[in-house]
Amino acid sequence: MTEHPNHETQITIEGFEQVDSLVSSVTVYAPKSKPSEEEQSRVYDCPNCGATTAYDVAGGGVACEHCGYISPVKSKTLGKIADEFEFTLETISQAERGWGIKRQGLHCNACGAELSLPQGVISTSCPYCASNQVNLTTSLEVFIQPRFLIPFKITIEQTHQLSKTWLGKGWFHPDELSASSVIRRFSGIYLPFWTFDANVTAHWKAQVGYQKTVRHYNASQKRWETRTKIEWRWENGTVPINIDDHLVTGSSSQHISHKILEQIYPYQMKDLTAYHPDYLAGWQAQAYETTLTDAWETGKQAIREAAKEACYQDIPTSHVRNFSMTADFADESWRYILLPVYLAAYKFEDKTYQIMVNGQTGLVAGQKPVAWWKIWLAIGAFLLPGLILGLIGLPLLLVGGAGILPIGAGIILFGIGIVLSIMLYNKARQSEAK
Amino acid sequence: MMVQQVTPLKIIEEGQRLWDSDRQPAGCTHCHRTFLAHDSHIDSSCPLCRIGHLEPQALQINPAEPERMLPFRIKTEHLRSIFTQFSSGVWIKPEDFTTENLFQRTQKIYWPLWLVDSDVKGQWQMEAGFDYQVESSKEYFQDSQWRSRKIVEDRIRWEPRLGGIKYHVDNVPVPALEEHQNRQQMTGAYRLENAGPFHLDQSNDALIEAPDLPPTDAWPLAKPQVNKKLSQVCAEASGAQHSRNFSITAKYQNLNWTQFLLPMYTSYYQDDEGTPQILVINGETGEIQGPRLASQKRGWRIAAIIGGIAAVLLLLALLGFLISPIFPPASILAVFSGIFGFTAGIGALIPAIWPSQWNRKNQSPVIIKRD
Repeated sequence: MTEHPNHETQITIEGFEQVDSLVSSVTVYAPKSKPSEEEQSRVYDCPNCGATTAYDVAGGGVACEHCGYISPVKSKTLGKIADEFEFTLETISQAERGWGIKRQGLHCNACGAELSLPQGVISTSCPYCASNQVNLTTSLEVFIQPRFLIPFKITIEQTHQLSKTWLGKGWFHPDELSASSVIRRFSGIYLPFWTFDANVTAHWKAQVGYQKTVRHYNASQKRWETRTKIEWRWENGTVPINIDDHLVTGSSSQHISHKILEQIYPYQMKDLTAYHPDYLAGWQAQAYETTLTDAWETGKQAIREAAKEACYQDIPTSHVRNFSMTADFADESWRYILLPVYLAAYKFEDKTYQIMVNGQTGLVAGQKPVAWWKIWLAIGAFLLPGLILGLIGLPLLLVGGAGILPIGAGIILFGIGIVLSIMLYNKARQSEAK
Repeated sequence: MMVQQVTPLKIIEEGQRLWDSDRQPAGCTHCHRTFLAHDSHIDSSCPLCRIGHLEPQALQINPAEPERMLPFRIKTEHLRSIFTQFSSGVWIKPEDFTTENLFQRTQKIYWPLWLVDSDVKGQWQMEAGFDYQVESSKEYFQDSQWRSRKIVEDRIRWEPRLGGIKYHVDNVPVPALEEHQNRQQMTGAYRLENAGPFHLDQSNDALIEAPDLPPTDAWPLAKPQVNKKLSQVCAEASGAQHSRNFSITAKYQNLNWTQFLLPMYTSYYQDDEGTPQILVINGETGEIQGPRLASQKRGWRIAAIIGGIAAVLLLLALLGFLISPIFPPASILAVFSGIFGFTAGIGALIPAIWPSQWNRKNQSPVIIKRD
């Protein structure tokens, strides 16, 4: 601290800045706030050749394709220590604006998706529907700014190999699938996610049944017998549950399949990095469509079901009735983060399919077209042994009692065939489902 | 570097009149407490020890004219009920322990605090606490259905703040008596915010106790109070509702010491040994504190009377038994006399034992708060 000659106290402290004081004779200094997002806005041009630069996954920095210039991203990997935010009434009602770099909103006329794209891009393929009918919109909604992200670790080239391997798996898909054009249409996108933490204390109360063996005298049989009886007792218990980084997507299910997205979980939060606009240079990024409060409602529903499950596990027997519980939430916090996903949408026999690759771990999931003739053939194969045995058994039954065995075996095999057929059919439907 | 400017000590001469009034310094010959007394108070017993008496004497500390005072809110007419309530709990009281005696011996006193003013200039830092609210929830599962209840919790967000200050601190109350802490315990808390400016005529019928803690000795006690006031100012400047870990490096200049007078009543009763037992009443709240003793002497006396009656009854019983062979109905008298005599004999033990038990339980002064 240094004193100013005119006796007004002037303080020079690193990391502090003067703020408004409500008392005239007192000066107040507070920790410097982060520079506003407008100040951080930047255009990604190569300082050597002036060409447009973009984040390069392999190089781990902003790179120029033309001259090979690369600038590492000045951001720290924070992992689990990344700040979490409370559900303050202020936070719930307010949202911060801005992305940190100048990006523009694009609206897909085909599926209605809202995209945030680097400045200068006037058209692109929509990663959700593969449509090229994309037009610039005037503005996006007010956003809470993402503070953390996990950068892409998987390159576009790697996704080609991963998806090819994935598409080649499974016998009931079209043979020509792995050779389709899917690989050429991957686009990397940062998708919005909310993560939630909470300490939940669950108190349960229920009637718990314990099996008991009872001896009784059977007067008609004139002998002592045993039978099993369930004895019901009121019991209660408390189960503490720690919820850490419960993930809820911020994308609307209208634009992205949550089912497929959940199949490429988990993400390793140890790679969580402080948000820096450099990571988004040349990549697509989607702002959240599900608000914090809506996402928390979704998360809370999943958490309370997990709490209920934990309570049931706390009960020593499987006989439970009149179960009730309360789940006290405490220390709830949230983060708004961006996670890397490669998306591809492709058409096969006039149908559109989605495929996703986890941009951090390389896990692949998605819709795969089904060669239904293979499915029907397999179902036929499952049912045929039972039918044949039945057909053999019928005439034998007419001749003598020997037919009962093949008929019985036929019925069993037919039953097994039906079960397997249903399972296969469902799996095939799931494979095509969004 | 800290600079202190303390009003120089002055000796007030014996018989010297103060504050353009007839008050003069007087001290107790036993406890040596000093007062600013009217002539009528001279030679009266000391209201705080009731052993010595007040005599004119010189003062070593200049009792600067008071700036503020807390008026007596408890009027004299309220005292009877306070004394009655105080003494009513004691079964076998000393004869001197009566409401009337206590009322007649009441003395009004103002006792002092210092009021410090200071110009402060320096640098401060603290953790400023800002109130905010968070939303939490409690989920209920019953009859296969979930219900949700939102809960809003108040929390404090602590943030570092620092800065400079150039501020005039006014009227910070600090102890002016060596026995301040003890006195505060005796009187209980005062609501200082009810104070008004000092008017000499409002204190006419009261003794004013003089400070015995000089400003130089009071300053180490005053400084934390001044800093506490500054922490409130800095929190207010920061827009914060709370502060903690406040520290300041400052110069304290132009220190000015005046007095703040607090009202109290004293009275007393004499115990079995004739020792005065002092009672103190907060002049603002009516809270009374003092020893509430029972009389062992009276206890013995009552026990002796009951014991005497018991002895007579037992003698009667004995006599009845002796003459019953000659006069059989006398046996009835003997039985009844025996029973009553025995009961009375046991009963005589109660007043003999009770006072010592009571006094043991009530060794520390009793506090009775006024509703």
